[in-house]
Amino acid sequence: MSNSNNIFTKFKELPVDGMTKTIVVAVSLCLVCSMVVSFAAVNLKNIQEINKAIDKQKNILQVAGVYYEGIDVKKTFSSFEPVVVDLNKGKFTNKFNPITFDDKAAAQDPELSISLNDDPASIGRRTNFATVYLLKKEDGSLDKIILPIHGYGLWSTLYGFIALEKNGNDIFGLQFYQHAETPGLGAEVDNPKWKAQWKGKKLNNDNGELMITVAKTQKNKEHHIDALAGATLTSNGVDNLVKFWMGESGFKKFLKNLQNGAA
Amino acid sequence: MSLRSYFNSLEPHFEKGGKYEKYYPIFEMVETIFFTSNTVTKVAPHARSYVDMKRVMTYVVISTIPCILWALYNTGLQTNSALASLGVEAQSGWRISFLQLTGLGINPDSLISNVFHGLLYFLPIYLTTLIAGGICEVTFATIRGHEVNEGFLVSSMLFALTLPASTPLWQVALGIAFGVVVGKEVFGGTGKNFLNPALTGRAFLYFAYPAYMSGDSIWTPVDGYSGATSLGIAAAEGYESLSNYGITWTDAFLGTIQGSLGETSTLACAIGLVFLLLTKIANYRMVVGCLAGMIVFSSFLNWIGSDTNPMFSMPWYWHLVIGSYAFGLVFMVTEPVSGSHTNLGRYIYGALIGFMVVMIRVLNPAFPEGMMLAILFGNIFAPLIDHFVVMANIKRRAKFSV
Amino acid sequence: MSQTRKQLLTDPLVDNNPITLQVLGICSALAVTSSLNVAFVMSLAVIAVCGFSSLFISFLRHYIPNSIRIIVQMVIIASLVILVDQIIKAYAYEISKTLSVFVGLIITNCIVMGRAEAFAMKNKPFESFIDGVGNGLGYSLLLMAVGVIRELFGSGSLFGVMIFEPVSNGGWYVPNGLLLLPPSAFFIIGFIIWGVRTWKKSQVESREYKIQTIKEH
Repeated sequence: MSNSNNIFTKFKELPVDGMTKTIVVAVSLCLVCSMVVSFAAVNLKNIQEINKAIDKQKNILQVAGVYYEGIDVKKTFSSFEPVVVDLNKGKFTNKFNPITFDDKAAAQDPELSISLNDDPASIGRRTNFATVYLLKKEDGSLDKIILPIHGYGLWSTLYGFIALEKNGNDIFGLQFYQHAETPGLGAEVDNPKWKAQWKGKKLNNDNGELMITVAKTQKNKEHHIDALAGATLTSNGVDNLVKFWMGESGFKKFLKNLQNGAA
Repeated sequence: MSLRSYFNSLEPHFEKGGKYEKYYPIFEMVETIFFTSNTVTKVAPHARSYVDMKRVMTYVVISTIPCILWALYNTGLQTNSALASLGVEAQSGWRISFLQLTGLGINPDSLISNVFHGLLYFLPIYLTTLIAGGICEVTFATIRGHEVNEGFLVSSMLFALTLPASTPLWQVALGIAFGVVVGKEVFGGTGKNFLNPALTGRAFLYFAYPAYMSGDSIWTPVDGYSGATSLGIAAAEGYESLSNYGITWTDAFLGTIQGSLGETSTLACAIGLVFLLLTKIANYRMVVGCLAGMIVFSSFLNWIGSDTNPMFSMPWYWHLVIGSYAFGLVFMVTEPVSGSHTNLGRYIYGALIGFMVVMIRVLNPAFPEGMMLAILFGNIFAPLIDHFVVMANIKRRAKFSV
Repeated sequence: MSQTRKQLLTDPLVDNNPITLQVLGICSALAVTSSLNVAFVMSLAVIAVCGFSSLFISFLRHYIPNSIRIIVQMVIIASLVILVDQIIKAYAYEISKTLSVFVGLIITNCIVMGRAEAFAMKNKPFESFIDGVGNGLGYSLLLMAVGVIRELFGSGSLFGVMIFEPVSNGGWYVPNGLLLLPPSAFFIIGFIIWGVRTWKKSQVESREYKIQTIKEH
C-alpha cells in the first residue's frame, strides 16, 4: 500500500513537462476516454438499431397510408410481410433473411448487383435483390404491395417507396424519405397535395405497356402526374426513377408474376 | 413669394441647431429637385466637370425609357394574346374591367389596348417599389444624416423592370427593401455599395420565392396560362426548337417574347446603351469585355458540343437576345459603383461576367438564367480585380524608377 | 451563487456573447437552425459538451503537460462529443438524422476549445463548469433566435407546430424559401449583431480607418 502511495506521490512531484509525465498522462487519458466512449457505443447500439428499423418501418406505414402521429409502429408493422425479391427472375427468393437484408449494401456488392448500361435513373448499379413489403388483410389475403425505389433528381438521390394496390397496377401512394432537393421547388415532392395526385393512377395501360409519366403537359389522364412547378429536373428525375423501377429492369416481372401466382 | 425665397425661409429650421435638424436630408432632397445644390467644393485642386451625380442618375433613368415603353407594350401584348387564346370571358379582374369600361378592350392587335394593359401591370409594381424603397432610403438618410440621392430612382426603376409582371406587390416591396438595406445602406449608402442594389433585391426574391420568380406560369399574368421563357425552351429542347413555338431570332431581338417586364427587347436595350455610351455614363470597356467573354466562351462550348445538353450548341447571337443578357449588360454591368474602377480591370470584370453567364446558363441545370447571378458574382470580384491591376501597375512603374 | 459566479453564467448571454461579439462557432449556427427542434437539441449538446469539457479540463489542469495540452483538450472534448452523439442517436433518432455530422463537428467548434484554453486551464473546476455552461447558453440563445426567425418565416411553423398555414396546404402564408437555405443565417446573424451593437454601444469595434471629408471654408 505504502509502495503504491509512494509511486503516486513520486509521480505527482515529477515536473509537469517531463517525458515520463507526458507519456503517462497521455496514455491514461486515452485509456479512460476510449473506455467511456466504447462503453457508451456498445451499450446504446441496441437502441440505435431499433430506432433505425422503426424509422424505416414508419416510412413504409406512411406510404401505405396507415401512419398517424402516436401510432405503435412496431405493432402496426406486423401486418406487413417483408420478402426479398429476385429482380432478374421476378420471383420471391429465400436466399436472404428479409429482416436483415440490406438493399443499399447489396447494390454496392458486385455479386449481388449489376452495373447498368441503360441507366435513366442515374443509380449506377442496381441490386438484383430487393426487399418489398406486402400488406396483408386480417384474413391473410394481399392488400397492398410496397416497393422501394430510388433515383437521381437535381442535387441528390431520392429514396422512397411506392405503394400499389393488390392488382399491381393501381398506385396507392408515393413517398420519399430521403432527398436534398431545393426547398420550395424540388423539395415539394414532400407536398401532400402533390403526393395525393398519385393515388388511383395506373402504371400500365390495358396492353401492359408502361404509361405512367410525370410531365407538364397532360397526355393521358389515367397515367399522368403533373410535374412540380418550377422544378423541371426534379420532376424528370422522379419520372425517370418511377419508369425505371416499374419497368422491365425493375419490378415489372415480379408484379406480373405476382398476379399470375407465379411469384 | 418665389419658390427660392420660400426655401430660404425654411432652411434655417433644418440646419444645424434648427428645429428639424434631423430632417435635413428630406429638405435637401426636395430642394434639389428645384434648384442645384449650393454645396460645391471650394479648395483646389479638384477636377471640374458639369456632370454631377444627379445628372448621371437622370441620364440612366432616361436611357431606360425605351425599355419601359417596350415593357408596357409587350406586357400588354402577351397578356392580351393569352386572354384572346383562352377566351376573355373566362377571366376577370380590375384591369380587365377597366379596359372594357374605357372601351379599350382586350385586343392584341391594338397598340393602345396593349400599352394600357401593360401600364396597369407596370404602374402598381413601380409605385410599390418607389414607396417601399423610398421609405427605407429616407429612414436611413435621416438617421445616418446623408443625402437622399437619385441613385435610388435608378435602382427602383431597374428593379421594377427585372420583375415578372405577375409578381405580387408585397414581394415587390420586400425585394426592394432588402435590396436598398442590405445591398446598399448597410455599407454606407450610394457610392459605397459593392453590390448592385436592384440585383440584390432581385436575387433575394429569386431565392426566397422561387415559385413566383421562375417556372412557366408566371411570365404572363393570366390564370391558367402557361408558357416558358425562350431560355426555358432552349434549355429543355434546344434553341432550334424555338421556331416550333413561333419564336424567331427577330422576335427575340425586338422582344415580342415572354420574360420579365423590361428584359425582353434587345433593341430597346441597345438604344439605351447607345445613349449611355454617347453621354459617357457607361464605360465601353465593360461592355466590350462582357460581350467578348460571352461570345468566346459560348463559341468554345459550341465547338465542344454535347449530346445530352442542348444548351451547348446555342450560338452567341441567341445568348445575346434571349433572357436578361442584354438588359443586364446595358444597365447592370455598366453600373460604375459596383464594377471595377481601373480601365484594364473593367475589361476583365466584363469578361468575367460574360463568361459566368454562359457558364450558368449552359452548365448549371438548376438555373436557366444566369445574368443576375453572374453580375453579382462580378460585383464581388471587382475590388479584387482592381487590387491586382493596381498592384501590377505599381510593380511595373517601380521597375522604371530604379 | 456568488456575484462573480453569476456573472460567469450571465456575461456570455449578451455582453460577451460568443457569436455576436466574438463571432465564433457560426458554422454550425448556419447548418442547424432551419428547424427549432434541431437547433434545440444542438444547443443542449453544445451546453453539455462545453460545460463538462471545461469541468474535466479544469480538474486535470495541473497534470496536463504544456507540450500536449491542445491534444489533451481535444481528446476530452472529442470523447464527450462522441458520447453526446451516441446518446442523441439512441434517444432522439429523428433529430440525429437532420443533425448528421454537425454534432460531430462540435469538436471543432471554436467556442468549446476557446473556453477550455482561455478559462478552464487557469480556473477552478466549478467556475470553469459555470463558464462553459454560460458560453453554451450564449451560443444557444443566438441559435434559438436564428431558429425562430428561420423556421417561422421559412416554413410557417415553430417547433414543427404550424403557426402560419402555408399556401401549399390551403393557408395564406407564402414561405420564404431563402430562409431554408444556410446563407440566410448569415444575414440574420448579421442583423442580430447590428441590433445588439446598436443597443450596446460598447461592443462596436473601433474603426480601422476613417473616411476623411474636406473641410468647407
